[in-house]
Amino acid sequence: MKTRIPLFLVLVFGIVGIIPYYSQHPIIQGSENFIRNDVIRIVAAFALILGLGSLLRVHFDKIRRSRPNWQYSYVLIIGFVVSSIIGLLGGRVGEGFLPTQIGGFEFHMQVLFENIIVPLGSTMFALLAFFMASAAYRAFRARSLDATLLLVTAFIIMIGLLPLGDRISPHLPSFVQWIMDIPNVASKRGIGFGIALGSLATSLKIILGIERSWLGGSK
Amino acid sequence: MKIFDYLATIDRRIIYFILAIVVILPLVFPRPQSVRVMTPAQKLFEAVDSIPEEKVLLIDFDYDPQTAPENEPMAIAIIRHAFEKRIKLAALSLYVQPLGLAVKALDQVREEFNAQATTYEDSIIYGRDYVLLGWQPPPIVPLLGLGISISGVYPTDYYGYRTDSLPVMQGIRNLNNVGILVSVSGGSAPLWWVAYSQVRYGVAVGAGLTAVSASEFFIYYQTGQFTGLMVGMKGAAEYEEMVAQLDVPGRRRASEALGSLTAAHLTIIAFIIIGNIGYFVRRRRK
Amino acid sequence: MNISTAFWVWVSALLSLCIFSFLYKDNPFYKFAEHLFVGVSNGYLVTLTWHGVLWPAALRPVLFEGRWWLIIALIVGALYLTRFIPRISWMVRIPIAISMGYSSGAAIPAVIQADIVRQVQGTILTPDNFSRWNAGSAGVIWTIILFIGVVCTLSYFYFSREHKGVLGVTSRIGIIFIMVGFGAAFGYTVMARISLLIGRLQFLLGDWLGIIQ
Repeated sequence: MKTRIPLFLVLVFGIVGIIPYYSQHPIIQGSENFIRNDVIRIVAAFALILGLGSLLRVHFDKIRRSRPNWQYSYVLIIGFVVSSIIGLLGGRVGEGFLPTQIGGFEFHMQVLFENIIVPLGSTMFALLAFFMASAAYRAFRARSLDATLLLVTAFIIMIGLLPLGDRISPHLPSFVQWIMDIPNVASKRGIGFGIALGSLATSLKIILGIERSWLGGSK
Repeated sequence: MKIFDYLATIDRRIIYFILAIVVILPLVFPRPQSVRVMTPAQKLFEAVDSIPEEKVLLIDFDYDPQTAPENEPMAIAIIRHAFEKRIKLAALSLYVQPLGLAVKALDQVREEFNAQATTYEDSIIYGRDYVLLGWQPPPIVPLLGLGISISGVYPTDYYGYRTDSLPVMQGIRNLNNVGILVSVSGGSAPLWWVAYSQVRYGVAVGAGLTAVSASEFFIYYQTGQFTGLMVGMKGAAEYEEMVAQLDVPGRRRASEALGSLTAAHLTIIAFIIIGNIGYFVRRRRK
Repeated sequence: MNISTAFWVWVSALLSLCIFSFLYKDNPFYKFAEHLFVGVSNGYLVTLTWHGVLWPAALRPVLFEGRWWLIIALIVGALYLTRFIPRISWMVRIPIAISMGYSSGAAIPAVIQADIVRQVQGTILTPDNFSRWNAGSAGVIWTIILFIGVVCTLSYFYFSREHKGVLGVTSRIGIIFIMVGFGAAFGYTVMARISLLIGRLQFLLGDWLGIIQ
């Protein structure tokens, strides 16, 4: 029962996902619309809550067991609690009943998003530029003809894309466009066919119950 | 050749420092850069420009803070285009974090236009000229649901207004009433719009992509599944260039970055060449 | 220089510098900023999930609009939370099965049409494809090169036979196309990563320090 019911459901809902593409019958379209809008949507919201619960459990556990850097888990939990209160009670843009403005100073959720989440998230990825520069210096070696071809193509793209490329030769940007349109498309399409067939096979295996890793470990 | 031995073991922080200087200097001492508009961005601009009056431009904001420096200039350029040509605009997001960035971009451009407006008709008014539909998880809900009914997926907009009561949504029922859907994304969202919404409902799809995704998305542009593309910061600069020709004021962040991009690219090329020279010299010595 | 006096600009700038400090080495400022990011991001997620989905799409319709049948969806969704109760944790498979089944099913026609049929249509040697390049007779040559490139790339990934003879030649051509494709990807990736750094510096030097006008 613990395995059969989920496998039965995955088959039924898999068919529910496929059939409406091939049939425009109002009952089929209407049923699919209801399942998607009213069931799948609400179920997905709880999945987000599950993810959140798991995250908090990990960090409470870290504090309880005094694991390395456990003190920072307090930062995470306090940040989460304070921002949740401000967001849940103050609304997304301060429209809730909790006041999120003192004089001209605003601190509603959109302000926290723009001034805490955005700078932190974007700076974390900005670090990648430095790591890439270091990797380019230390690791990108033209050890073979193929690797040399890769690097030469990359150089052409990097120079040709920008105004400098246009100044070197007016044909360079067009050549870059040609590289993207022909050899690049050819290789990525070949790879893409493989990926598409693989994902198709995986979807079928999930629906038919051949692929069962999503059930988890226990029976 | 002791210099190559030294260069091979150089502290990585010196590399970081050189890169930082190379990027900062052109920002502090800018030089005007000409922007050559390439065909993918041109096609996207023309597709947005030719949206009929009774249809709406649908923008999918799907970039999060991590890719905002590339994607936000694209979104802002398209919004400026829509507001200038008075194209009805509806915005949504498939994930939660991009929603805050959608609010930021829409508010910024609305304020830019309203600072210049002299009458109510000239102004950009929420609900009359544009709407932020919001976010409904999981992504499959809007990807397939919008083809049947937009207000069915978003009965209320992001701010809580009933979607079908807003003037901008009058006559806009589903994807058949969308001129083009432009997905500004840091990930695979444009592919999903093509695979689900375009396959089932035939909606035209354009994309604003990060440069990382560019090479794999060109296969969809070549088949015409993407009507047009903006690729990376260069693509954003191209669209900004075309919008600027409509006399739309506003800061062009992507175009301002081209000098730094050029300097940084040349630096990375130099790093690779120096690294390889050192590698081959030391290999020959052994 | 025209340093900003806005409180939130300073908060953004200092948090950015905390993250940049990682370039020197891992340190408490970086760890603090990293954990703060995760905490506040999840607070934002909770806010939007409640205001955007749970209240308007689930609870309000059930409690105030008479759509009582949505209780079934609420119960199914709540089964996710059985993950935290070991005795009945197997029930988490039920909402997973529903979501995964539906999305796997919907993906099948989507992938077939968009990733296989349309891509084959874009590769084969037809007048439509010849004229797509707007390059006259050169369009025929480009389409043929594209076709050869796709076939040779596919032949490279055929590992059921040794790459000798004809297969050896086609797979060698295929690897050339693949290297060009990866080189293009690398070139664009460099632009992407540098762009992210430029964006941050535009904020720090412009909005915060006022050095960029």
